[in-house]
Amino acid sequence: MSANYEPNIVAFLCNWCSYAGADLAGTSRVSYPANIQIIRVMCSGRVNPLYVMNALQQGADGVLVSGCHPGDCHYMEGNYYARRRLGMLKDLMEFVGVDPKRFHMSWVSASEGHKWKEVVEKTVEDARDAGPFEGFRRRQIDW
Amino acid sequence: MDLELLRKTGAEVAARDDVKYLLGWKQGTYGYRVAPAFVENAAGAAELIFSPLCTANLATYLTLVEQLPVPRGEEPDTRKVALMVKGCDSRAVTQLLVEKGIERDEVVVIGCPCPGVVDPALLAEKYPETEEPAEMKWDGEDFLLIRNGEETKISRDELLAEKCRLCRYPNPVVSDEMLGEPVETWAPGEDKGVEEVEAKDVDSRLEYWMDQFDKCVRCYSCRNVCPLCYCQDCILDRLNPTWVNRSVNFSENTAFNIARAFHLAGRCIECGECERVCPANIPLGKINRKLARDVRDKYGFEPGVDPEAEPFQASYKPDDPEDFIL
Repeated sequence: MSANYEPNIVAFLCNWCSYAGADLAGTSRVSYPANIQIIRVMCSGRVNPLYVMNALQQGADGVLVSGCHPGDCHYMEGNYYARRRLGMLKDLMEFVGVDPKRFHMSWVSASEGHKWKEVVEKTVEDARDAGPFEGFRRRQIDW
Repeated sequence: MDLELLRKTGAEVAARDDVKYLLGWKQGTYGYRVAPAFVENAAGAAELIFSPLCTANLATYLTLVEQLPVPRGEEPDTRKVALMVKGCDSRAVTQLLVEKGIERDEVVVIGCPCPGVVDPALLAEKYPETEEPAEMKWDGEDFLLIRNGEETKISRDELLAEKCRLCRYPNPVVSDEMLGEPVETWAPGEDKGVEEVEAKDVDSRLEYWMDQFDKCVRCYSCRNVCPLCYCQDCILDRLNPTWVNRSVNFSENTAFNIARAFHLAGRCIECGECERVCPANIPLGKINRKLARDVRDKYGFEPGVDPEAEPFQASYKPDDPEDFIL
């Protein structure tokens, strides 16, 4: 691992809380690491576990899924489903040898710009610890 | 298992007007083979068997049978399908009921209490297959192998399949007719296979699974044989979006295997069919059992036991564990 290694993180944020929270962090001039690529989804319950898998295949070193706090979901219960599914996925990935530091899940509400900063810092730091992920990256063949 | 009783019940059920056919096991053409029998009348029931060689989970055929469109002017065939189940197979039936894959009035379930079946690969390795069909029986605590006219007594521990060693439901959980007395349940042994992998650190686990998944030829046998993989439009076959590329390499093999295992999280009833049919001998059972154990320990959910249950991934509890959340 080179000294100036910067991890790529893909973050799936729910439209109603976490995306607005990240937006608030921006408007509040809170600075956080720029390693994160945000993908807005309508609900954390919409995040198919295969998205996480696919992100890792396509070059992400870490994945973050963030949604509303339990009970605050815009769709009433989407984040409860997400919690169950992605919790299982985390266990499964750990079992097949993906460092648990590469996958995080968090609850960030629209008013938690500062929490968003902490979450991103933790995610980036963990991914940096774990190093570049060559595990099951899709190989590009140059013909 | 009393074969007389089995064949008599089979004949009675197959002769019923509201039964289309009965699914059971019959002697295969050579060696230790056991073939599925589609019995359409009472006479056909004479070939039915139930022995330690009957590893196949017949519940697969409930959803595997092609549903052709009904020709104009004809009524759809609404007769029931009867099938014979072991303990694990009956859990597949229950899980199909939970998921509304089948309706309860579409099937007649004939339960066979099962003292445990053999591991066919292990059997063929230790006792080479013969050209002549061989038979096997339960003999008290042991297995009795009959091939070329000579009988061999084999201890249960020697050949018992891994899934049976860990079995907690040897008696069918759902049945219309029960053949014989329920067998005594045994204490499931420790799951050494899973623990062995869990004891490794993350990097050696990845190495281990790399070796395993590298063998995968993506024949999708594990999906096809699984009684609970019955989506009409499987994501693995889909081209748009292409969830899993078709190239056979570690990246795509892992994506496929994780997708397959994850789609069975909270649904897998541990019948071990995927592992049995795998031509590359990938220990798929380890992944499935690990997930099943996590679902049981962390979420207190067990698939295929209660037909009234909510499907695991389509339900939640407010107090699900969330210790992994930042």
